[in-house]
Amino acid sequence: MAGLVTRRRTLALLGASMLARPLWAAEEERPVRFGLTAVVVRENLQFFERWRHYLEQRIGRPVRFVQRRSYREIMGLLQTGEIDFAWICGYPYVQKREPEFLELMAVPVFMGEPLYSSYIIVHRDNHATSLPDLKGKVFAYSDPDSNSGYLVPRYLLTGTGALPDSFYRLTFFTYNHAETVEAVANRVADGGAVDSYVWEFMAKTRPAVTERTKIIIRSQKFGFPPLVMRSGADQELKRRMQAAILGMREDIDGRALLGELSLDSFSQANPALFDSIRAVAQRMIEGGKP
Amino acid sequence: MTFSHPRTWSLSVKLPLTITAVVVGVAITVGMAIVVQERDRIRENLEEKALVIARGVAGVAYEAVLRNDYWGLYKSLQSMTAPTDPDGNAPSILGGLVLDTEGRVLAHLNPEANPVGMPLLGANPEQRKWLREVLEVNAPHIHIAKTEKGGYVESIVPVQSEGSVVGVVVLQLSTEEINTRTLAAAAIIFGIAIALAVVGSLLGAYISRRMIRPLNALASGMDTVGRGDFTRLIPVKPRDKDEIGQLVESFNRMTGELAGKKQLEQQLAMSEKLAALGRIAAGVAHEVNNPLGGMLNCLDILRKKPGDEALVQRYLPMLERGLNRIQAIVQGLLAELRTDQADAWGDGGCVEDVKDLIVAEIGDRQIQLLWSNQINESTCVNCGHLQQVVHNLLRNAVQAVGEKGTVAFRTQIYGDKLLIEVEDNGVGIPEDVLAHLFDPFFTTRSSGTGLGLWITYRLVTRMNGEIEVESEPGKGSLFRIKVPSRAVAQSLLSGAA
Repeated sequence: MAGLVTRRRTLALLGASMLARPLWAAEEERPVRFGLTAVVVRENLQFFERWRHYLEQRIGRPVRFVQRRSYREIMGLLQTGEIDFAWICGYPYVQKREPEFLELMAVPVFMGEPLYSSYIIVHRDNHATSLPDLKGKVFAYSDPDSNSGYLVPRYLLTGTGALPDSFYRLTFFTYNHAETVEAVANRVADGGAVDSYVWEFMAKTRPAVTERTKIIIRSQKFGFPPLVMRSGADQELKRRMQAAILGMREDIDGRALLGELSLDSFSQANPALFDSIRAVAQRMIEGGKP
Repeated sequence: MTFSHPRTWSLSVKLPLTITAVVVGVAITVGMAIVVQERDRIRENLEEKALVIARGVAGVAYEAVLRNDYWGLYKSLQSMTAPTDPDGNAPSILGGLVLDTEGRVLAHLNPEANPVGMPLLGANPEQRKWLREVLEVNAPHIHIAKTEKGGYVESIVPVQSEGSVVGVVVLQLSTEEINTRTLAAAAIIFGIAIALAVVGSLLGAYISRRMIRPLNALASGMDTVGRGDFTRLIPVKPRDKDEIGQLVESFNRMTGELAGKKQLEQQLAMSEKLAALGRIAAGVAHEVNNPLGGMLNCLDILRKKPGDEALVQRYLPMLERGLNRIQAIVQGLLAELRTDQADAWGDGGCVEDVKDLIVAEIGDRQIQLLWSNQINESTCVNCGHLQQVVHNLLRNAVQAVGEKGTVAFRTQIYGDKLLIEVEDNGVGIPEDVLAHLFDPFFTTRSSGTGLGLWITYRLVTRMNGEIEVESEPGKGSLFRIKVPSRAVAQSLLSGAA
């Protein structure tokens, strides 16, 4: 009999403790959703799991990374408020939004500066040394909203006097910088445009692939793909997330994670960093003449 | 190396060989059937695999085909054809490609040689025909093609979007897998066959040993029995309750009974011998007693009348006759006892010596003696025995003829035997007498002792010979003696020496 009574009392206590939890806890426990795009190499799931744990500890809320195939989908999710944070490309960032719903949160520092470029790559055995050599060939873009993987190579092509839409025999999108490298390495495409950061990152992690490619053009430098947050997101949450991201270089765990990303740090960004991208985009809209 | 005819081989060789041959034959036949079936199965398997992979690509490709997503098509081709198991033991993919309805390459596993957007290079007319057919009938097709580099299974599957064909997936799997896997299967199957053959032959050897051992024992047992030797007979151990076991049991039973019978016969012979001895003793007593009675009477009368010269004159000859008769009986018996003496081998001429004795016996009676003797100095015979046998028979013949007639003596050496015939045309022997002809003290003559033919019989028997009588009362008699080969063989040997 004693046992029964004890169990009943335990059950009662349990019920009371559940009721006693504050109502705001439900809001607190809702995961913070963070969008990822092709700007990072997304294959290493274990890394993102560790990064997720790191951010959860810093902001005190569960974090979920959300992956989509294209920038456009991630932008859509930001606009509708389904995600509050995202790591996007500079080109989508500079595109006009009415009303503006994004704020810069941080920009990665890569090889000492918050800048990167676009590489035009061909297969190692390809004799092409410049863009005109690729006339009538197959070219791989990463994403129609990518700066380094679409905007810049088309801009470079117009610089040679060619019309990007008819210059190649075929073009296709891989929606992933790493896969652009693979497409060129496997000779599915004769040439491709790739984020310099991704290529350098792959050169360290998957040299067998990058070794089958060679860089024929390195573009001018542009602002590194930034981390953005939704203007309409909870102010406190935005503050905590930005602090967590910017503070990664301050502690050992964060530095280890940055090391895995081959980044120096995440730093405070000035929107003017992306003016060069904005200028290129503007010129392309105006007819593609530099 | 010489081969004897299989019919002369031992069962212990033939039986395991047969079992091994049967096992190997069955194993190889079944193995070949399985290998052929396995080859078909592997081929069907490969065709199915080619179709499944092509279908898999086609199933996910339609959207990419519509959107000209060359990279997506290439990736799905590559992932579908990538080895799935860690050994890399996947079917070797010779080629995989996606074409649009115009025959342009949308994706190719070998993009370097087959750039996207270009018409397919290197397609042979047959392949073009199949491609057109698949595009027209909108149904998958599979066939096996052969090139100088080896055969391949080619599956062509249409890529459909809402019922209409937007492209085709072509997949080529090397048929080398069929050969390698068939060889592997064959190796396993024939390994099993050889193992079965080894086990089968061992089993065959064991079974045949088990079967043949009692048979060998039976054979040697029968050999022993054939030689009439029952003393060294060891019963064959029956191992199983099968037919051979039954045979062994009946053989053991038979030899046991034979041995028992032999013993019984020996006992019977012994008791007959004793009975004969008794008869001889009784005969001797009787024969000696008969004259003794008369002689004792004579002596009694002579003692009562000692001076009577006439009585002496009358009884002395009677006493002499009686004593002579007793002497004859005793001499006959002694002659019989002499037959126990050692054999006296000599040349065949001794038989010829008997002729003079018989001629003297005939005297001036009108008896014709026909003499045809092949036994001469070059043959060696048991002289003492044979002389007495021949003499006895000839004397009997002369007595049977009486005052006038013919007596014939013939000898022959044929094969491994001596044949001696003594024939006369005398009184002959009645049937009731024939039955007792060789009994001791049996005689039809008042003056005979009844020992002559008995002794003859004993001597012939001692020489391992046979004696036969043919007789018809009033017409005559024929005595035939056969003395077996041993005597001749020995005689020939010593004759040559």
